[in-house]
Amino acid sequence: MKKSLVITAVSAFAIIGLFLLAISINKNKAEQQALNALAISSTADIPEFESKSSEWGKYYPRQYDSYMKTKKSDDIDDMLKKQPALVVLWAGYGFSKDYNAPRGHYYMLEDNINTLRTGAPVDDNTGPMPTACMTCKSTDVPRYMNEHGELDFFTGKWARLGNEILNPVGCADCHNNETMELTVTRPHLIRALENEGSLPYEDATHHDKRSLVCAQCHSEYYFKKTPYTAKDGTEKVAKVVTFPWDNGLSVEAMEQYYDDREFVDWTHKISKTPMLKAQHPGYEIFKTGAHGLNNVSCADCHMPYTREGGVKYSSHTVGSPMDNMGTTCMNCHRGTEKELRETIERKLARKNELNDLAMDTIGKAHLEAGKAWELGATEAEMKDALTDIRHAQWRWDYSIASHGSFFHAPEETLRILGSAINKGHEARLKLKVILAKYDAADYETPDFSTKEKAQKVIGLPFKKLVDDKNKFLNTLRKEWIEDGKKKGLYDAKAWDGMEFKSSYQEM
Amino acid sequence: METDNLMKYIAIGSVIVVIGLFAYVGNASNMISYLSEDPKVCINCHVMNPQYATWQHSSHREKATCVDCHLPRDSFVDKMIAKSRDGFNHSVAMTFRTYPNNIRISDNAAVRIQANCVSCHKELVTQMIAMAQPYTDDPSGLDRNCWDCHRMTPHGSTRSLTSTPNNIGVKELHKITN
Repeated sequence: MKKSLVITAVSAFAIIGLFLLAISINKNKAEQQALNALAISSTADIPEFESKSSEWGKYYPRQYDSYMKTKKSDDIDDMLKKQPALVVLWAGYGFSKDYNAPRGHYYMLEDNINTLRTGAPVDDNTGPMPTACMTCKSTDVPRYMNEHGELDFFTGKWARLGNEILNPVGCADCHNNETMELTVTRPHLIRALENEGSLPYEDATHHDKRSLVCAQCHSEYYFKKTPYTAKDGTEKVAKVVTFPWDNGLSVEAMEQYYDDREFVDWTHKISKTPMLKAQHPGYEIFKTGAHGLNNVSCADCHMPYTREGGVKYSSHTVGSPMDNMGTTCMNCHRGTEKELRETIERKLARKNELNDLAMDTIGKAHLEAGKAWELGATEAEMKDALTDIRHAQWRWDYSIASHGSFFHAPEETLRILGSAINKGHEARLKLKVILAKYDAADYETPDFSTKEKAQKVIGLPFKKLVDDKNKFLNTLRKEWIEDGKKKGLYDAKAWDGMEFKSSYQEM
Repeated sequence: METDNLMKYIAIGSVIVVIGLFAYVGNASNMISYLSEDPKVCINCHVMNPQYATWQHSSHREKATCVDCHLPRDSFVDKMIAKSRDGFNHSVAMTFRTYPNNIRISDNAAVRIQANCVSCHKELVTQMIAMAQPYTDDPSGLDRNCWDCHRMTPHGSTRSLTSTPNNIGVKELHKITN
């Protein structure tokens, strides 16, 4: 009796253990089947230019879910507060109003709509910005370009397409709807690659495209005025997003490009300099660094292959590779995570040191130039100093505007910052001579060490900007969403869980 | 008396169930296959696919299989002890999913592999080790492993999911065996 009981009890334990093991093994085997199956869903039925990412997500749930996790990158990091000199550097330009470090892809369109830079339009034809500001914000852009043409998209004020551009950047921006192959959907990149010449788009391999789909947006651009005749016969001017790559991707090559065309982004409010604004040349700088030269692609580190059980997919939680170094850095690097983190911190500290120096130098140059104008300096006297300021600030901006440059290409970033500081000092030397001529050699620039002080120095009506913006957000913006819903273009899931966040107010 | 008999039948029955389940698990997990030296056994599970694929594209595939490098070659007993030890660790990691994205060699296995490098490439390295000996206290005669310099041997510089995005070489294999 006793013996039987013991045997039964032991067997019972063994049965439970073996049973659980059998379940585990079968699960692993099922995952292995999935792993060896085709990555393309055979049941997927996604229309061309489908701008609702949740429709793609039905067939590619892992990619979609990981994309939606970019929601976690939600901190508003007010760069103007952190670096008040920026306000002076960008006086007279939108960026002096409001500038935050970028958040996750999920927030892209939301932040474009909320920033004070896009202003407070009251109808289709008001507001400070052109439609081109939406080029990289939404899956609706390729859809709209397909329906109405590229030039039509680039025509008019930003607010004109508020009820068409409704969903944040997503699947349709980089993927073919049938094969899921990587696809460049923005024609401006294809033209730029052709003009630059080293890698025409038709020669790009899958691996190249793992960077090029990112380069559609993470590159330097300007709005090129392009006259054309619309379908209805009227003469119009489009402001077309254009990459200044004709002479090459380096800071000097692009500077030459802009100088040759006498292109001016805006005239500086204080120094009256014909300025250039560099817009995150991330791809260009990346190509000069150790990772770029070794043909590592953007996706290798920012969208690493990930396992979910036995199923492998490429994570669409685009963000800092340092969030999960096990799937990124550690693929190639032999050291420990701690060592690598320390190395990266040192790179950042070096960039910050030169960046602070450059901003302080160029900021003072602007204010000194402003003083010289005030005292009656002539255009002929100021010309050379202003050219130095233009080049100094362009170089500084080029080197830091893509936030990862200190990591992507530390040497190139520091080299450009060095040349920016040098140009800034050349400008200040020339300005000192001019100031001396007008008996103001001992002129001291005013304090711009906080965001408020700096915005006061440049005379920005901050409160009015915020009041107008709030009005816009509570009226026109809500109408756009209602319109979008009526047209069936608004993807409610893409906005799931969105909370209003900005640097200028609590709502 | 009746209950005694009943208990006996239950005990026998449960033992039969255990044997049956064990046989099922053994079959499902290809238990017997682990006694072989075929590299395909190492990708019974998916975890080692990148390691298999990178080895399969290296020159070592012509001369050395997984076990030739990763298990001791000095005696059958040592080999079986190491195999059981690794096998147990792998089963635990697989069942509880504790393995990381980037699998690194264990200290214990590194010693075995180093010994195997030397054992195959003896003619090439004997002189080298002899020359190095005066400069190290390490009993092996070397103070570093071969792959500290020969970093690409044999799995390439990148030996994770990243290096084998399509598991090249493994898919075809499954077609053949299935």
